[in-house]
Amino acid sequence: MKMPGGNDIEWLYDEHAQPLYAFLLNFTRDEADTRDLLQEIFVKLVREPRLLAGVREERAFLIRLAHNATIDLMRRRGTRDRTKENFAAEMTSPFAPTSDPDEKIYREELAAALGELPEEQRAVVHLKLWEGLTFEEIAAALAIPPNTAASRYRYALDKLRGRLRPLYEEIK
Amino acid sequence: MKPDDFESRLQRQPLRPVPTDWRAKILAAARDAQPACHALRITHHSWLSAFGHQLSTIFWPHPKAWAGLAAVWILILGVNFSMRDTAPRVAEKSAPPSPEVIVELKKQQRLFAELVGTYEAPAADRQRVFSPRPRSECGEILMT
Repeated sequence: MKMPGGNDIEWLYDEHAQPLYAFLLNFTRDEADTRDLLQEIFVKLVREPRLLAGVREERAFLIRLAHNATIDLMRRRGTRDRTKENFAAEMTSPFAPTSDPDEKIYREELAAALGELPEEQRAVVHLKLWEGLTFEEIAAALAIPPNTAASRYRYALDKLRGRLRPLYEEIK
Repeated sequence: MKPDDFESRLQRQPLRPVPTDWRAKILAAARDAQPACHALRITHHSWLSAFGHQLSTIFWPHPKAWAGLAAVWILILGVNFSMRDTAPRVAEKSAPPSPEVIVELKKQQRLFAELVGTYEAPAADRQRVFSPRPRSECGEILMT
């Protein structure tokens, strides 16, 4: 199934599904929602192949699609599912499971700390830390100025540092 | 920005991998969603779709900028046409000036010409200017 960029939809999936999945899961914290959103993105690409025509940075463009899809989902759901109680109860960690008990605790705490961040800060932190994007690339993906991306990252990192410091010191 | 220890530790946390069985299901759903006409268009690639693709490649990077430019041109053309329509109507509607106005205009024109220095008074208004001549010529004038 050829797309305007000359790539197959299968190729697009193999290339981008993993980062999109991690990004979506960091927002939804729910496997079923993440799958729905991931499917929605690829169905959209097939239905509207022109979306990718002329796109230089496929990853950034797809992350923007994923971000918009997540925001739409959250709006549809309302604030009910975003309360911390519900969030904690249904949470699926965006991090890989581990058998190391220290690492397990750290990842759980990190996932919880990320969940407490405002969505716009969480998106920037995720893209910077786990996608390795520059602030310019993050700005392009999220349609925000690069300075805003940088300041959101700093604020978020300070919060994470404050939240995880005791644990970090203990494990270190 | 060089990442500190804390950032490096965060970066090292591996993300959960996408479940492998999703690939087939998601791609199947995507294939099912593919419109029939689109499939036909993709296989045949008519010159029209190729042209459309070229256009979209040109316009895609800044669609808002292109749309804005087009809107400005439409506005300019609109203003231009509206100005062109009203101009003759104004000329037709305006009544010929009254004699008083004409006299006043002529006065002003004369005053302006005097100030500038290009005014030539009518023959009746011209003052005789004394010019000294030789006496012989004066005699000729007297004889005639």
